[in-house]
Amino acid sequence: MKKQLLPLLFVLLASTLWSCNDQCKETRITRRYTPISISLAEIRSNVKTESPHDLVRPGKIYTKDNYLFINEIKTGIHVVDNSDPSNPKFLAFISIPGNGDISVRNNILYADSYTDLVAIDITDPANAKEVSRVQNVFRNGQFDGAAWFLNQTNGVDNLTIQDYTIDYVTETVTTNCEDNIASPIYYDSWFTTTSMLSSYAPSVSSGNSNGQAGSMSRFALYDNFLYTVSQNSMHLFNINDPAKPVDYTTVNVGWNIETIFPYQNKLFLGSSTGMFILDNSNPAAPKQLSMYEHARACDPVVVHDNIAYVTLRTGNSCGGNQNQLDLVDVSDASAPKLIRSYTMENPYGLSINFPNLFLCEGKNGFKVFDVSDKLTVDQHLLSFNTDMHAYDVISMGKNLMLIGDDGFYQFDASDPKNLKQLSKIAVKKAVQ
Amino acid sequence: MKILFSFFMAVLAISPALAQDETFKRKFVNHTEFGGLFGRVKYDTYQGYGGNQKTVDSKASLSIQTFNGIHLNQRLDVGVTLGFDWYKTALLNPIAAGIRYDITKGPKARLFLTGDVGYGFNWLNQDSDGYKTKGGWMINPGVGLRMGKINSSSFTFSVSYKRQEAFADKPLLYNQTERTEDRVYNRIAARIGISF
Repeated sequence: MKKQLLPLLFVLLASTLWSCNDQCKETRITRRYTPISISLAEIRSNVKTESPHDLVRPGKIYTKDNYLFINEIKTGIHVVDNSDPSNPKFLAFISIPGNGDISVRNNILYADSYTDLVAIDITDPANAKEVSRVQNVFRNGQFDGAAWFLNQTNGVDNLTIQDYTIDYVTETVTTNCEDNIASPIYYDSWFTTTSMLSSYAPSVSSGNSNGQAGSMSRFALYDNFLYTVSQNSMHLFNINDPAKPVDYTTVNVGWNIETIFPYQNKLFLGSSTGMFILDNSNPAAPKQLSMYEHARACDPVVVHDNIAYVTLRTGNSCGGNQNQLDLVDVSDASAPKLIRSYTMENPYGLSINFPNLFLCEGKNGFKVFDVSDKLTVDQHLLSFNTDMHAYDVISMGKNLMLIGDDGFYQFDASDPKNLKQLSKIAVKKAVQ
Repeated sequence: MKILFSFFMAVLAISPALAQDETFKRKFVNHTEFGGLFGRVKYDTYQGYGGNQKTVDSKASLSIQTFNGIHLNQRLDVGVTLGFDWYKTALLNPIAAGIRYDITKGPKARLFLTGDVGYGFNWLNQDSDGYKTKGGWMINPGVGLRMGKINSSSFTFSVSYKRQEAFADKPLLYNQTERTEDRVYNRIAARIGISF
C-alpha cells in the first residue's frame, strides 16, 4: 500500500464513524388513574360470599387458627383453609368493595369497605354473612396510590364515593444517557397498600381469640377495642359484643399514619415522618408518649423485647432517599434511642421471631437475619433468597408466610439458613 | 467473558508452538493509550413529561487503556486490554481480549488494526443516590498508525469505533412502578499511545 494513501484511509474510516450517537432508552411503567363515582348503596349491597377466586392482585394477609385471609385489593377477601401449609385450599371469596384491611376476633371478621366498617360472621367461612356495619366512619383512604373520598354536595354527604381505577402504562423515551438528578421527585402522602409487615405475637385477651395481622395493617385488636388508623387519626371501635362494633372515639395523632402495631400495653404507629409510641394502659384512651423522628420514608415497624425494628423505604408513595433498617431502643418509651442503622436495598414488610428477623426486599427478594447482636446485624445475614418478589411476611413459629407480586408462599423456617418451600399459590396474571 | 478469557489463555498456551519464525523474538508487549470517546446524543428534551422536542448534545469522555500481551508473530500481538472509561455518569472498566495486527511493513511507520472485545464492569463506579448502574458488553475495533522502528518502542495514533452497553435502575418518579434505562454508548475513540 502506498504511504500517501494512508491518511486518506483514516479520513474515510473516521467519516463513517463521525456520526456516532449514544442510544439510551428509558423504559418506565406508570400508574394511570381514571376517576369513577360509585354509590354507597351499590357498595353496601355487594357484600356476599362467592365461590373461590384466583389471586389477581393480593394485598394484606391475615391469619387466624387454621385459616388464612388474603385481601384482594379493593375487591374482597380470599378465605383459605391452611390446616396443611403444604397444601392450602381456597374455601371461598368474600366480596367486599373497597376492602384493604382485615382483623378477626373469635368468629367475627372486621373489614373496611370504603367508608364503612363491616362485621362478618365467618363461623362457616364458605357461607360468611354480614352481621353489622358501622357507616361513614372512614371519610377517605387510598388504594395503590389512588385516593378515594366521600363526596359532598354543599357540605352534605351525597352518598357517593369518588375513586379511581388504575391502569399500568409502559412508555419508552430516549434520554441523554445521564442521571437527571434535577427531576422533581413528587411526594405522595398516601401509602401503598400492598406493602405490609408483621410480627408473631400471640394475641389473646380476656378469653377472646384474635388472629395475627401483618403489622403494617391499619387494624389492631386490643382488649375490647378495634383500633384503626387513617391518615391523621386513630379510630376506636368498641367490640364488647364482637358482632356489634360501635364507633367509640377518635384520637388525633400525627400526620400520615400508615401502620399500627400493638406490643404489650403500647401502640406503635408508623408514619411517613416517624414512629409514634402511644401508652395504651387505658385501652379506651391511648396517650401519645413520644415520637421517634426520621427522614421521610415509608416505615413499617415491629417490636420485640424493647427493641423496635423500623425499616425506611423509598419509592413512589414514600419519598425520601433512604433504604435502611433502624434498630431503636424503646425500653424508655418516652425517649426512644437509635441503636444502629443498616443499609438495605428496598425494604418492605418485616417480621421477627427472635433471634431471626425476616425482611422483605420487594423485587430484590427476601432476607433472614440473626439479630441477637444488635450492633452487627449486617454481619449475620443467614440467607438471601433473590428469586422471588417479597412484600409482606408473617412468621408463625416455624411457619413462614410470605406474599409478593408473584404469589403467596409458605416456608418451613425451622432452619432459617435454609428455608424449605412448602407451597406456593401463584398470582393468576401479572399485573404489570 | 469466561469464554473469551479461556480462548485467550488457549492462544497463549499454544503460541510457543506456533512461533517458530527466526526473524523475530517472541516477547511481552505493552500498548498503553490515552484519548477521548466522542459522540453525540439525540434525546427527548422533556423525556415524555410534556412536549416531544428533541435535543442534540455532543459528548466527550476520557478514556485510558492498557493492552498487555504477547508478540505472537511478526505482525500479530494478542493480549488482554484493561481500561478506564469516564462516561458522564458512569465509570466503567472494560476487560477485553485484544489484538494488534500490522497490515503494512514500513520500516519507520506501519498501519495496524486494533480490536478489543470484552465486558465493561462497574467496580469502581459510584452512583448518584437512587441510581444503580451496571456495565455491559463492549466492542472496540479500529485502525491506527504506529511510528517507530520494528522491534523497538513506537508511538501510536489510533481511531476506532467503541460500543459500550450499560444499564441503569433509576429512582421512581410520581406514580411510577418501574424506571430503567438501557444505555448504548456509540463513540468514536481517538487515542495516542506508546507501545513497546
